[in-house]
Amino acid sequence: MTDLLSTPEPAAGLAPASGARQVWRRLRARKSALAAAAVLGLLVLLALAAPLLAALEGQDPNTYHDALVDSARGGVPLGDFGGISAEHWLGVEPGTGRDMFVRLLYGARVSLLVALGATVVQVLIGLAVGLGAALGNRFADSALTHLTDVMVSMPLLVFAIAMVAVVPADFPRPLLLVFAIGLLAWGSTARLVRGQTLSLKKLDYVSAARLTGGSSWRVARRELLPGLAAPVITYAAILVPSNIVIESTMSFLGVGVKPPTPSWGQMLSTANTWFRADPAYVLLPASMLFVTTLAFTVLADGVRVALDPREASRLRVGRGGRESRKSRPGGTA
Amino acid sequence: MRQLPAISRRVAAAAVSVVLLGGAAACGPEKSGGDAKGGGADGAAQKGGTLTVLNRQPQKQFDPARLYTSGGGNVPSLVYRTLTTRNRESGAEGTKVVPDLATDIGRASDDAKTWTYTLKDGLKYEDGSPITAADIKYGIERSFAAELSGGAPYLRDWLVGGDTYQGPYKEKKGLDSIETPDDKTLVFHLRKSEGDFPYLATSTQFAPVPKAKDTGAKYAEHPVSSGPYKVVKNENDGEQMVLERNENWSEATDKERHAYPDRIEVKSGLSSAVINQRLSAGQGADAAAVTTDTNLGPAELAQVTGDKKLASRVGTGHFGYTNYLAFNPKAKPFDDPKVRQAISYAVNRTSVVNAAGGSSLAEPATTFLPNQKSFGFTPYDHFAAGATGDAAKAKELLKQAGQENLEITLTHSTAQDFETSPDIATAVQAALKEAGIKVKLAGLESNDYDEKVHSLDKQPDLFLAHWGADWPSGGPFLAPIFDGRQIVKEGAGNFNTARLDDSKINDEIDEINKITDHDAAAKRWGALDRKIGEQALTVPLFHPVYKRLYGKDVKNVVISDWTGVLDISQVAVK
Repeated sequence: MTDLLSTPEPAAGLAPASGARQVWRRLRARKSALAAAAVLGLLVLLALAAPLLAALEGQDPNTYHDALVDSARGGVPLGDFGGISAEHWLGVEPGTGRDMFVRLLYGARVSLLVALGATVVQVLIGLAVGLGAALGNRFADSALTHLTDVMVSMPLLVFAIAMVAVVPADFPRPLLLVFAIGLLAWGSTARLVRGQTLSLKKLDYVSAARLTGGSSWRVARRELLPGLAAPVITYAAILVPSNIVIESTMSFLGVGVKPPTPSWGQMLSTANTWFRADPAYVLLPASMLFVTTLAFTVLADGVRVALDPREASRLRVGRGGRESRKSRPGGTA
Repeated sequence: MRQLPAISRRVAAAAVSVVLLGGAAACGPEKSGGDAKGGGADGAAQKGGTLTVLNRQPQKQFDPARLYTSGGGNVPSLVYRTLTTRNRESGAEGTKVVPDLATDIGRASDDAKTWTYTLKDGLKYEDGSPITAADIKYGIERSFAAELSGGAPYLRDWLVGGDTYQGPYKEKKGLDSIETPDDKTLVFHLRKSEGDFPYLATSTQFAPVPKAKDTGAKYAEHPVSSGPYKVVKNENDGEQMVLERNENWSEATDKERHAYPDRIEVKSGLSSAVINQRLSAGQGADAAAVTTDTNLGPAELAQVTGDKKLASRVGTGHFGYTNYLAFNPKAKPFDDPKVRQAISYAVNRTSVVNAAGGSSLAEPATTFLPNQKSFGFTPYDHFAAGATGDAAKAKELLKQAGQENLEITLTHSTAQDFETSPDIATAVQAALKEAGIKVKLAGLESNDYDEKVHSLDKQPDLFLAHWGADWPSGGPFLAPIFDGRQIVKEGAGNFNTARLDDSKINDEIDEINKITDHDAAAKRWGALDRKIGEQALTVPLFHPVYKRLYGKDVKNVVISDWTGVLDISQVAVK
């Protein structure tokens, strides 16, 4: 939970400690958000424990089992539900007979790492460029806005392929993917930040802060970032699954993770033709992706509500008065 | 041999073009064995009806000068008759050359450097005018024009003066090496012996074009038909085509084509999933539909074979083709024959075949030549890996070579084509791991891959390769890969990736090219393949098998081993 929250929550950390505590308290009140966080925590745990679980099952992700697939029928796994058995808990992959359970776990490592890493890079660049454009002078705004437009309209995959081509082959692929996606796909985040900042800038309390002589940096940090946190975190939570999808497309084009390393994206891209002949092969990575996406979205919604000052005041009003500021030990996010 | 860059490059595309331009697919249950008449729906074939062709690729550049086909193609062969053509029968019989416009497949003289043809009587175009020898000569000359490029490069290489001739628009005089002493006779003069000339004469460049009707680059829109169908509509460069019966075509002069349907509609630009889905559903016009360019993939095959009705509508074809591992035996560590042999022993062909789609879509290969008699197939297995690889033997050889901790890089393309794709590379990687060889995979985007593996200076030292010939004969299969004079030093047109330049092999290739008896030549090609195989310059992996669906009303399915795909000229829908 802590792990995962630290990613989409750079802004929350910047709010005063008491604010963070308030946010945490409001978040805790939302059961769905807690459930989502628990699911994500479990996923991370499973990914981290992949080698242990693989040893427990007695399989490894790259061993071929030719005897477990029906070669005459295109390599479809023998047995039900993709060849589920005591040895292969979630069946085997068509064509190769590699163990699905272990591949899914190892795939989670790559997919989550790439998606979360790329999201951090995207949010950081997006925030910097968006704030710079909204708060800078006219020249800076126009330059940065044009840069953002270029980034948004740029065909991500073409540039990602070019990037992979120039980087030495020995550079670790997952890290390369983090940078390729992160450095190329921050345009929409920057736009969001700029737009939000421009509308926040017009609000009285921001004007007041500026009139009292606060520097741009101070205004941005103290007054704007907390206001930006809600939309940015929500958006980041949508970016995570979309980054997993980008990773899968890149795998499909051969610039994703290198085989035989599994990733959900790689599994989905090879599985898409199998949806009739071996539904299990598609359903497993697809449902992992679905659960992850849903969890991130629900969590993001929870966090957004918890962070939204208006929502907070509405809640207080709804409960018939100011809530006391009980502080709980260890209750920080 | 200065044409070679072009040749080799094209030949690579050839196997593909067979599929794209020519092929169609489908046949009765496992009919590819070799008997004459094919499967399909029950009942005698009758004239009438409309046949629909559902394809991915459009029939681009439908000009006979520009088409790159094997055996004249599938759809093109409905419109263009050629001097010779492929035998329209299932299986191995279908790899033979038979006369089409000519009375025989050609009479050779002067060590197969001169070829003489006589035209049949009563040949007519769609407008009723007679087909003459001069029209065939003119058709060939057109293919030399720069604006009508795209065809196979052999004519340019083989015909005397072909290397400098610029086509009839620039050089009105024509090509002296093609003589037409009268309206019915053609004499070709080649600059070297080519016993396979009758096979080349099946290509659409050998179709007659009446000079008076030639509209240059626009000719493809309304080509003058010599075959059983004429083009009544050709939209978007062959994306939508409608062919209707050519009333002036006479079955009496054409023993090969049947022309049962009255009308043929070609619809392209569809995805393979859509094509296979439409063929299996068979709604409306799709019941009388075939595809000439879309195979069943492994997943689709798994689904189709689970349904008895669908399974009876799958045609199986064998096109002469080999997928293999290619070494650069001049580079370390592959300069040591023991290392190459060790890898040959270590390969697990069961998992490789599974990665290529399973035993129904690929057959394990231990020879470089395809497993068909017409190529001269001579079985051998110099480094017997068995079904799943011989890791112990491989380890022993590596020990002898002092390479016990061997680390190598295998280059593959990232195209999902079940040929040079990552799946095959990973299967090889897993098998070599058993023998203690650590394999790093280097995936290249497919254009990049094509360029690199065919450029002498950029060629990877070990990569997944594939090869198909322009016609079912050992010559075009072996020569580009193992003839030392075909090494191309510059550009991306080299196919002799082993850089083999052995005067004995080169001489043998020249000697076999003089033979005009195909069976005799095939035996020599087979022996040559077996001999070259001893050097372990390649590791043959598998020969692909084509499986394609056809509609439920489709009758008279014939799939030859020449194309491996259903022949549209034989199909009936009534």
